[in-house]
Amino acid sequence: MSTKKVRVKDIGKRGDEVLCPIIPEDLTPLPPPYGEDEPAWKELSEATTNNVVCNLDGVVAVSLPKAKDEAEEREYVEKFRAGLKKLLEKNNNWTFLQPLILSLEYCVNCQSCNEACPVFTSSGGKEIYRPTYRAEVLRRLVAKYTKPGGRLFSRFTHGDIDLNWTTITRLYELSYRCTLCRRCAQACPIGIDNGLVSRELRKLFSQELGWAAKELHEKGTVLQLEVGSSTGMNQVVVKDNIEFIDEDMADETGIEVTTPWDKEGADVLLIHNAGEILSWPENPGAFAIILNAAGIDWTLSSDEVAYDGVNYGLFYDDVQLARVAVKHAESAKKLKVNKIVAGECGHQHKAMMTVSDRVLTGDLAVRRESCLTLLEKIVFSGKIEFDPSKNDFPVTLHDPCNIVRNLGIVEPQRRILRHLCPQFREMTPHGVDNYCCGGGSGFAVMSPNNFTDWRVSVAGRMKLQQILDAFADQPKPEVPKYLCAPCSNCKGQLRDLLQYYDVLEKSNITYGGLVELIVNAMVDVKEPFIKWEMH
Amino acid sequence: MLGSTLLIVVSWVLLAIFVAAFLVRTIRMAKLPMHLRWELAPVPHERGKSHYGGSYLEEFEWWTKPREKDLTKEASFMLQEILLLKSVWENNRRLWWFSFPFHTGMYVLVAAGGLLLLSGGLELAGVQTAGEWRGGISMLAGSGFALGAVGAFGLLVSRFVDPRFRGYTTPVALFNLILLLAVFVTGGLALVASRNLAGSVWDFGAALVTADMSVELTGILQAHVLLALVFLAYLPFTRMMHFVAKYFTYHQVRWEDEPLRVGGRLEREANRLLEQPVTWGAPHVNANGIKNWVDVATEEKKT
Repeated sequence: MSTKKVRVKDIGKRGDEVLCPIIPEDLTPLPPPYGEDEPAWKELSEATTNNVVCNLDGVVAVSLPKAKDEAEEREYVEKFRAGLKKLLEKNNNWTFLQPLILSLEYCVNCQSCNEACPVFTSSGGKEIYRPTYRAEVLRRLVAKYTKPGGRLFSRFTHGDIDLNWTTITRLYELSYRCTLCRRCAQACPIGIDNGLVSRELRKLFSQELGWAAKELHEKGTVLQLEVGSSTGMNQVVVKDNIEFIDEDMADETGIEVTTPWDKEGADVLLIHNAGEILSWPENPGAFAIILNAAGIDWTLSSDEVAYDGVNYGLFYDDVQLARVAVKHAESAKKLKVNKIVAGECGHQHKAMMTVSDRVLTGDLAVRRESCLTLLEKIVFSGKIEFDPSKNDFPVTLHDPCNIVRNLGIVEPQRRILRHLCPQFREMTPHGVDNYCCGGGSGFAVMSPNNFTDWRVSVAGRMKLQQILDAFADQPKPEVPKYLCAPCSNCKGQLRDLLQYYDVLEKSNITYGGLVELIVNAMVDVKEPFIKWEMH
Repeated sequence: MLGSTLLIVVSWVLLAIFVAAFLVRTIRMAKLPMHLRWELAPVPHERGKSHYGGSYLEEFEWWTKPREKDLTKEASFMLQEILLLKSVWENNRRLWWFSFPFHTGMYVLVAAGGLLLLSGGLELAGVQTAGEWRGGISMLAGSGFALGAVGAFGLLVSRFVDPRFRGYTTPVALFNLILLLAVFVTGGLALVASRNLAGSVWDFGAALVTADMSVELTGILQAHVLLALVFLAYLPFTRMMHFVAKYFTYHQVRWEDEPLRVGGRLEREANRLLEQPVTWGAPHVNANGIKNWVDVATEEKKT
């Protein structure tokens, strides 16, 4: 099957075969020395191949167990069919019905979106990654199984397809091969959004079949709603960790650092992605240093969920999205703060600032703002003295899709970088045209089986090329270089990307957030805050 | 060839189908419920920011600032999209060489139709010289037929030779292109057969309005008129309605960035939608068909 072009209807055929295997030689080449020793992909274990569905591209992201018998297969196929109908119902899917219907009914398959997709292009043009492929599968299923006369006419109007266990299991896995970056939607002359289609498919699987990526659901929103954070930190642990970070920051910078908790009536309720606290403690530490130095009246909340800005519901489930968003707003209301400020986390920005906007009505309609606008205000306020020469090394900026392409917050972070980093340079393309890091839509926290290999070397490939190009004038490791990524999930992906290709050693490029660069430039901070080490 | 009476009756029926189906489908698009915000930069109405894709969310405490919209930028964006197919030019140059003449041909024909109406109206109002426009209008229509035919033929060939379309081209998509090609070709042939094509079309239009069953059309013109009316009646049932859908995908999705204000229209609409029952079946949703969105979103910890 791999030697000839995969057709849309093939998704439901020959379920015991891999539909479209990834071939390393097909991937777009990387410049030397990176193209010379491409790391080998992890082999799937025998247990995985025996017990888990792995017949899409040989990659396993969602680890769906094989059905016990045909009866179970039929049961899930019926659930899928029921979910298809609910996806098109106003009461069940008013949240995205209009954009979904428009995307399903009016695409003319002109394929203008194809080259905009970094996954499709980096893979060497694998048919199943073409942005129109999975949308076309859904379109045909809707036409055949939900419309009157569909079984009779849809093959002429929409093309043939069969709904069976193979179709739904491959489609489930395929819905986790799109980073929801929405570059394809930008390129579409009609305004069709194939990224949204991927999300709606994930939603159907989650809200009707109970299938979702474990990292986003069980270990994501469910854990967050039960314990308080998708990291598993409860209120006691998070306070302990922040106290430790405060002490560590004070030792490192010589500046007294105290993070306020649960301060009623504060101007700012800062909500970090709690992953920062565990993986990049210098980021919440740097926030505390900056906000205290600028005299901002701020606080963190120790309410469950409110100390973790993560909202993975954005990527797969409207119900979970709404539950987490409500929790964030309730905490802000309880503390009577003026506004919530989203920390350096892209999907948190999007979930909190726009997507949940029409869920948070009445007294839950709390004002919500990006940390980037607050940081810009602080940096140019004159309240903190900076010495840009402390940041005199090459710096480039990764634009998180959820902050830039999806919210249009483009310039505040750039004005800060131009002001504080003499060697700032842009990637190409950048701003709202930038490429996803490859970890979007929750991929950054998903590493089962061989999925890390895929998300780094396929989904992240274009980003690596962009990073190397941005520093092409100083490629050697003698010059330390900084990749600024003001997004927690992007940093998770970039960490894996840089480690996978040994970029720190070969090119001396490290990565981090924006606040770290701001603190590094503070006159009052005597020792360099940024370390050129992999973390 | 159809008799005059049958031709007039068939034309009425086809036009009625077009008008009714067009309205139903357009209203259906317009009446889809408000959705969660899903805007996509660049949003052209952002005054002073749209050239780089910025939005009002770049402002410190954006809710304290007046919203500054520049609707001329939206209009300019849409005009470039509609008239020049800018996105296709930028993202799909191979297709643009055919898609552009194809669409331009249709625009030219619509313009020719508009001019014909105008000239006829003026003539009825006593401006006798308006009738002299018809030679020019016929030539304009001829250029529309030529552009459309070249485009439709090119698109049809592309569907067979371009590997990107292989597997995505349905029988109906091919039929649509062939039908349109037939409309353009018969229009061109009718023009060759009679230089006063616009005059003949005007006479036919007048016969439709006055129910004049004595009107006579040449064979080729009758074929063209029938094909054009069949196309119109068929259009609302196809993806070719994307020219209407495009208004909604841009203005109500990509560029719809209105924030919710307490007590405002959006909040009232959101509250109404949140009261609808949920029937999703996964255990974690915990829906029973009676609970509404507010219930399921505010229940304590779910597993």
